[in-house]
Amino acid sequence: MKDRSDAELVIQARAGDGDSFGELVRRYQRPAYSVALSVIGRHQDAEDAAQESFMVALERLDECRNPAKFAGWLLAIVRNRSRNLIRRESLRRGDEIPASASSSGPSPERAADISALRGRLREALNTLSEVQREIVLLHDLEGWKHAEIAERLGMPSGTVRSHLHFARKALRVQLSEWKDYGKGV
Amino acid sequence: MNTENGDRNAGRGSPPVGAANGDSTREAPASLEVLDPGYGLPGYWERFHAGVMERTAFERARRRGLARQSVAAVLSGWSRSLIPVAAAAAAVAAFLVGREVSHSADASPPLVLEEVLATEIEDGALQTVAVGQIPANPVAFMALVEGNVP
Repeated sequence: MKDRSDAELVIQARAGDGDSFGELVRRYQRPAYSVALSVIGRHQDAEDAAQESFMVALERLDECRNPAKFAGWLLAIVRNRSRNLIRRESLRRGDEIPASASSSGPSPERAADISALRGRLREALNTLSEVQREIVLLHDLEGWKHAEIAERLGMPSGTVRSHLHFARKALRVQLSEWKDYGKGV
Repeated sequence: MNTENGDRNAGRGSPPVGAANGDSTREAPASLEVLDPGYGLPGYWERFHAGVMERTAFERARRRGLARQSVAAVLSGWSRSLIPVAAAAAAVAAFLVGREVSHSADASPPLVLEEVLATEIEDGALQTVAVGQIPANPVAFMALVEGNVP
């Protein structure tokens, strides 16, 4: 399954192969979430937007003209959907990841630390532009390479590098005075 | 939230910041892993995946149904066009075979080559040729064949 290209998976998913669509979801659920988070800034809404985007993508799969570029097409849907969410001002309030909800999750103290660090990171991210957030999350959180980001976001690789450089620099400044950052949680 | 600070090509022309491996910048990466909702929550991404698959169940079922229908449509399309053509071909073949049979029943026995060659030649001329008394003069020979023997 892993060896199949995006294009093959898209073509088979179009024909009703649920496993192929499932593999596409597995491949791109994390980048989709990161893009949604970069636009919305709230976990719960980012999760909803990413999941809904997969629904929309499947419904419109026949409109994906170049199946080999499925990732870029999907992320454009995620971005638009996330922006629409903001535009409609339908964001819900409680956005904390329920870290302590799972029995296999961290201890309450650790969950609190994680929650605090997340909050601080989101504040820092919010000082960046949307595109900088998207690039820094795709690169530093999802591990995408410059070339992949450039291809999938449709921008020159040098621009990606530049955005990443300035985003990291800004984050470093924002987070430098925060006591717990970099110590691990 | 700041969403208006730049467009996708902002920063074009800024100094390149690549490093030796071609995939990093001078700025060290921020530790963002804590923003991964799966951080400290094992099974988060499996649940996310299951959630997407649940939400897309209807559409996946619809696509499976369409795919099945399209296979059936192709087959029925074939049968729709193939059966009348085959029936017409069979009717034409039956007609041709029947006509052939009736023609062969009515026809007179076929001529053999010798009969074709001897048609309209006088019997006397044939007997003369058969015994080898062929005139050397062409005019006399034609007169013999045409029965103009004096």
